Amino acid sequence: MGNVKAIETVDLVKRYGTLTALGGVSLEVPEGEFFGLLGPNGAGKTTLIRILTTLLNPTSGTARVMGLDVVKESSNVRGLIGVVPQAMTSDLDLTGYETMDIYARFYGMHRAERRARIDELLDMVGLRDRAGDLVATYSGGMRRRLEIARGLVHKPSLLILDEPTIGLDPQSRHVVWELLERFRKADRLTILLTTHYMEEAESLCDRVAIIDYGKIVALDTVPGLKKAIPQKDSIELGVAGVDMDRAVEWVKKLPGVTSASFAESTLTVFSEHGAEAIPALMEGLRGIGGRVTKVTLKELSLEDVFIHYTGRPIREEEAKKVSFLLGAGVPSKWGK
Amino acid sequence: MHRFLAIFERDLRKFIRNPLVVAMSLLMPIIYLVILGNSFQGELKNLPVAVVDLDSGPYSRKIMELLAAVEAGPATLELVRVADQGFAMEGLRQGVFKAAIVIPGGFSRDVMRRRLSEVGLYLDNAETISAMTIRASVTAALSELRDEFVSIREERGEFRLRDMELYRKIDYDQTLIPGVVIMAIFLGAMTTGAFNMVMDKFLGVEESYFLTPLSKTDIVMGLIASGLLITTVLALVVLFLGSLMSGLFFWGGMTFMTFVLMLAVIVLSTLGLQGLMFMIMGRINHPRIVGVLGGFLNVILFFPSGAIYPIESFPGWLKAFAAVNPETYSVHAMRALLFKGAGLQAVQGDLVFLAVFAVFSVLFGMLAFKRAL
Repeated sequence: MGNVKAIETVDLVKRYGTLTALGGVSLEVPEGEFFGLLGPNGAGKTTLIRILTTLLNPTSGTARVMGLDVVKESSNVRGLIGVVPQAMTSDLDLTGYETMDIYARFYGMHRAERRARIDELLDMVGLRDRAGDLVATYSGGMRRRLEIARGLVHKPSLLILDEPTIGLDPQSRHVVWELLERFRKADRLTILLTTHYMEEAESLCDRVAIIDYGKIVALDTVPGLKKAIPQKDSIELGVAGVDMDRAVEWVKKLPGVTSASFAESTLTVFSEHGAEAIPALMEGLRGIGGRVTKVTLKELSLEDVFIHYTGRPIREEEAKKVSFLLGAGVPSKWGK
Repeated sequence: MHRFLAIFERDLRKFIRNPLVVAMSLLMPIIYLVILGNSFQGELKNLPVAVVDLDSGPYSRKIMELLAAVEAGPATLELVRVADQGFAMEGLRQGVFKAAIVIPGGFSRDVMRRRLSEVGLYLDNAETISAMTIRASVTAALSELRDEFVSIREERGEFRLRDMELYRKIDYDQTLIPGVVIMAIFLGAMTTGAFNMVMDKFLGVEESYFLTPLSKTDIVMGLIASGLLITTVLALVVLFLGSLMSGLFFWGGMTFMTFVLMLAVIVLSTLGLQGLMFMIMGRINHPRIVGVLGGFLNVILFFPSGAIYPIESFPGWLKAFAAVNPETYSVHAMRALLFKGAGLQAVQGDLVFLAVFAVFSVLFGMLAFKRAL
């Protein structure tokens, strides 16, 4: 099974009428990887997730999960994946334990097996004490933790999370991150995660794909993605007691520095590895008689990579259609 | 099996966590019984009638006595003696009186001289039903007076129409019980089963079910099975409470077989309506629409079912609808079982219709439901 890919899509296309949500996505995620999917709103992340989780059929192309075709073997695929959808989907009228138990029964798990697994999971997500309380009494963060535990109740091979930390406070978000790291190690899990939060992808994911307008525009490890774009780390130095033109000329000769410029008494230096360049810069400037009054390092972040590929303008999302006759409560087909 | 039972258990747990829904599901049919039993009464009572006596002779006094007898006896009329005819007419126009009876001056003299003598009866015929009742009541009361005009009195055997009731004495309230039970079944089917599915869709819970190996059959059957159990229990409780309230102690005279048939009628009616709800609500994703449809469906299924008014008096098109309305068959069967102590033979036609309806509605309900977002 070693060479089976957890996820493998080939030229996946999804169209809604004239709108192309996915325009040919080919992707391979090996087993055990923590894979991140980034993209602006409406880029096609949720569509891709819904195809992989068998909720939608692709217009063309193929998608395999743990070697199984998501269209032809959808029922088996569902047994192998655990999913945490973007919206909160736990039933408010049930207790935490009941939510887990009823869900486990959907997978045909037996009573003893269920009990042990649910206790273990609720313990890990810190909800064991609240297991007998109605989900309606939980906070957003607790509910999210319960849903992550629920997604893992049947020991899936692949866990798929669609923006799992959206709307959570920073504390809850960090708890979710820690949990994902722990579950990954405990169950040798493959995890696919979509997110808007760059630091989330940066700290968790082995590899990241940036998706925009239904296509993958970049795919690599986080350092790999950073290296691939022309922007570099930047260092701003406040310098006194030296001729700035001379300083710039001198700095440009240092290894790793790609460019340098100045404005008044501030020297701006771009370098591949900003932090490593600082001691040499300080020493060098002092050597030519300068005095460094201030140093600011701006390291290249995943956000810079993201903006590089997807641009700055805010996306005009397509407005949702609402029925003129019946308001918001009709099947979406009638509304269109 | 496991999977379908998980949905079933979930719904039962959710149901008992909503005591208000439980209470309302029981209370509403009972309130219907009380309101219908007291507003659509079998016989009308206490209709206010103004009487103007401009004669004050022996025969007008006789008329007053006969009317007073009606007031004291069946209490159909409530007499208000008025001196002024104009005042009586004004009151009639304003709806204070439902009718006015005017005895003209010289009435007794005319009767004694055997001349044409007339008593005026003015009816508010904007209210057809009370006008008809008053006319019948007054005509019957005054018919005795007419006998006295006959100059040669014959000895005649007393002639009276005596009602023969086929079944044991049934109060109007009691005749409503089959209707109240079918209403309990309707409300149960409306607020469980398919409605849970609409709520799941509305709250987004449904997505988490579609992500599991649950099949469409598991989901629909689980929802219908839980709805069937809840509704059947509700209907039995309503039947019991309604009987207690109206004094129909059916359990006294009911055989075990009749009770089993009664249960079969309730279960099949529930299943049919559960399937019907899935057919109608299968593609709906907002509870607002269920609210709008609910009242409408209740009216179009309940009133033509024969629960309140006999189907035979309906116009043809409504009769045709009643013939395909499952509630018609439920009401017919329950009436036979509750009041006539009937056996299988009397209700087998109803049971066959209800069973066929249930099979098809569940089947089409399943087709209407889509296992997709």
